[in-house]
Amino acid sequence: MILVIGGAYQGKLDFAKEAFGVKSVFSCAGAEIDFSKECVDHIEEFTLACIRENVDPIAYFRERKELWKDSILICQDIFCGVVPLGSDMRAWRQTTGRLCQYLSGEAERVSRIFCGLEQRLK
Amino acid sequence: MTCFLSGGAKNGKSTLAQNLAVALSGEGKRYYVATMIPVDEEDRERIRRHIADRAGLGFETLECGRDILACLNGADLNGTFLIDSATALLQNALFPAEKGYRMDPDAARKCGDDLIAFVGRVHNAVVVSDYLYSDAARYDVATETYRRCLADIDRSLARACDTVIEVSAGNNIVHKGVLPI
Repeated sequence: MILVIGGAYQGKLDFAKEAFGVKSVFSCAGAEIDFSKECVDHIEEFTLACIRENVDPIAYFRERKELWKDSILICQDIFCGVVPLGSDMRAWRQTTGRLCQYLSGEAERVSRIFCGLEQRLK
Repeated sequence: MTCFLSGGAKNGKSTLAQNLAVALSGEGKRYYVATMIPVDEEDRERIRRHIADRAGLGFETLECGRDILACLNGADLNGTFLIDSATALLQNALFPAEKGYRMDPDAARKCGDDLIAFVGRVHNAVVVSDYLYSDAARYDVATETYRRCLADIDRSLARACDTVIEVSAGNNIVHKGVLPI
């Protein structure tokens, strides 16, 4: 699995397409992921939906390891800013951070994208 | 040589940008492209602070909050141009004060195109931007548009420039090219 992280609009998906020839992409919008696509984008939207629907996103990934072990996973690093006031948004920020740590540990390669440029973290 | 710098607020971007511009210019002309259009006393104080920071570094100031290519008229293109910042230029273009700050996406696109043309025309340029893409917040449409437009400009500049540096707490992460100092 390859994990791609970075800020909003930094070109994470463009990078995945260019570097790994990604063609099929699942763009998260709820608390379910279709791992049949080679790339899963916007994992931060998945974690937000999980918070709202009371699903543990790390357990969700752990239980489906076989499905994403060869995937390209993309997540926005929403955990770098100010602590949000709303409890859901706080939980979102923390859970996304924890999930990225877990995925980073499992990944064979971790790339951070800054202004369209890759920084190899692992 | 062209350099693009970004990073968090008050992390040392402007200081590095000034040092880079001085180093790149050698004996040549040094221009500081002042991009902020002040609207209140806080802005004016900020500008005074920046002028004091630059004092003695030999910069000629070109006031240009909009239509950045215009400030090249009469300037020595073999000189070194410090643009601080893309963020302010985009703000001036996207939310024009004289139009009641009503969003103008076409002006934002032109602002990005002009910046790319600018760095292509001058001998040395240092362009500063701001990194505001990694927080857990849901913004209103105007703020989100601003973030997306700035990110587009940043990515275009990162592609066009020889060197790309992220400044973090006064430290430099070189993402592309070499740091010339």
